[in-house]
Amino acid sequence: MLSLRDLYITRGRGHERYAVHLPELRLDAGEVVAVVGPSGCGKSTLLEAIGLLLEPDRPGHFTLGRQKQDLARLWQQDDAAALATVRSRDMGFMLQNGGLLPYLSVRDNIALPRQLLGLTAKSARVDHACETLGLTPLLDKRPAALSIGERQRSAFVRAIAHEPALLLADEPTAALDPHAGARLFGVMTALVQELEMAALVVSHDRELVAEFALRRMVASLTTEGCRFDAAP
Amino acid sequence: MTLLPKRAALILRLAVQDLWHERKMSLCITASLVAVIAPLLLLFGLKHGVVTQLQNELLNDPRNMEVRMLTTASYDADWIHALQNRPDVGFAVGKTRSLNAQADLYNDERRFLDNAELIPSASGDPLLQDLTVFPQGNGVVLSASAARQLKAEAGDSLTLAVNRRLNGERERGTMKVQVLQRLAPSRFPRPAALIDVDTLIELERFRDGDASRLLGVTTGAERDDHPVHYSRARLYASDMDAVEGLVKALEAQHINTDSRLADIQNVKAISRMLGLIFRLIALTALIGCLASMAGAFLANIDRKRQQYAVLRLLGLHRAGIALHVVAQASLMAITAFIAALGLYALSATLFNPLLRASDMTTHIATHMTPLQLLVAFALTLSVALLVALLGVARAFRIQPAESLREI
Repeated sequence: MLSLRDLYITRGRGHERYAVHLPELRLDAGEVVAVVGPSGCGKSTLLEAIGLLLEPDRPGHFTLGRQKQDLARLWQQDDAAALATVRSRDMGFMLQNGGLLPYLSVRDNIALPRQLLGLTAKSARVDHACETLGLTPLLDKRPAALSIGERQRSAFVRAIAHEPALLLADEPTAALDPHAGARLFGVMTALVQELEMAALVVSHDRELVAEFALRRMVASLTTEGCRFDAAP
Repeated sequence: MTLLPKRAALILRLAVQDLWHERKMSLCITASLVAVIAPLLLLFGLKHGVVTQLQNELLNDPRNMEVRMLTTASYDADWIHALQNRPDVGFAVGKTRSLNAQADLYNDERRFLDNAELIPSASGDPLLQDLTVFPQGNGVVLSASAARQLKAEAGDSLTLAVNRRLNGERERGTMKVQVLQRLAPSRFPRPAALIDVDTLIELERFRDGDASRLLGVTTGAERDDHPVHYSRARLYASDMDAVEGLVKALEAQHINTDSRLADIQNVKAISRMLGLIFRLIALTALIGCLASMAGAFLANIDRKRQQYAVLRLLGLHRAGIALHVVAQASLMAITAFIAALGLYALSATLFNPLLRASDMTTHIATHMTPLQLLVAFALTLSVALLVALLGVARAFRIQPAESLREI
């Protein structure tokens, strides 16, 4: 689903320069990989680069989807429009705070990415996901009326509503208590497997990652910054 | 490409839902607009009402358009024609020497009006403004005071008499005239009859010694071919703005005039001054309005940075964000204008009776034409669009990646 080799990203200049290096990452359909490491090590930077939000210094090898679309070439061609299209069509983002729009109901929030892509608002997959996550009774409520756990589950459904190839989640359980975090992780991994997407989840919650026996990319500090390697 | 209108509709819906969700904030921004627009509408309505009323008062009295020639000379028919054909002339007719423009009028009941003024008239005479008839042949129109003294009504028959002394003999010529109408009292104060200019010429010739079949006198010279000469002209400008040019044109021909140019210039000066004051106030208010709306609007965008970033992340392009921002600003401006219009209408209905009741003025009322309202609306919208433009510039800098970063 996702194949990456030698991704280099640098941030800042001079003595504030910080480099993030990802030697290799392969994600198959239905697979969830956790990116773990201490705060400030560059997990979010990595996620932004993979999410096409941050230009890498050297894209190396970067393909996405069953058709293995060559994203490294799009970066080299500096084709911002094509990158934005790939980002909104083939990727789903789940934000730390949910990122739900406060003025839309849960139903409209979930429908938004589909509508922006010109798809029908309703889809069997979305209905199934809402059912599985227990969101069906909450669909007409505004985000403000939901608990944080409910909000994160809604944000998860919104992230996968348009059936992207890759789900990128940034600390989705950070604001949740351990129990709610475990529950969210459970449904997320189950649905990603069921829907045959690939997911990259940034988390600093090692226990949770261990509990679900997720494959891990672990940060290790280098002289220049940070490097992410697959954990043994 | 059917995606585009659908997408635009979606963005508009999002903009409205956002405004409605934050209705308190939207109301604040809208109210700050209303606070500027409503008083400006009222002020402008009042200014326009005052100026219109002053102008109407001038226009309603034909004497204000009149340019009276003080210099007496001899003008031929061509000169009068040239005058009539000037675009700044509303009405012109030749006058005889003033001594000859008098006659006695009496009716069968022996009611006399000695030395009534005879005023040459024709179709289009401003004194006849509301009347459908005009003096022609032996038809005359009486001034109110003349009609009163003669107890004459429309349709009555009168006798017009002029005296002359020819070769030491006193002669009296008479003719029957028909009263066509009477003027309103305010039109002309003195006893007078408006009379066909050709009839008046005939009277003058009779006085000058000609024989006149019309007046029933056969003695005197038979000189039918001598050219017509006028001593002056009754002259009206086509409108208020034309008076000054007409006066100058006559002065260039060394003709002294008397007119109400000073009054007209007074009204114009008042109109100009009020216009200037209004523009100054409006400009100040608009700048303030622009600043306050821009401040509130930009702060609002900054506050909702994360939301805009999420929209960008979900695939909304910059054009979409621009549409979102412009739609919100325009919607608030339109709402504000409608509210201000309502307030204006309300205060105008409360205000106008008070103005009517005040001793100072009789007819002043706040008033605005549809075109002026349209201009006011366009101005409001352009303020909103200017603010939206600043907002768009701000929102354009919001990157989708910002949605991932915590503030």
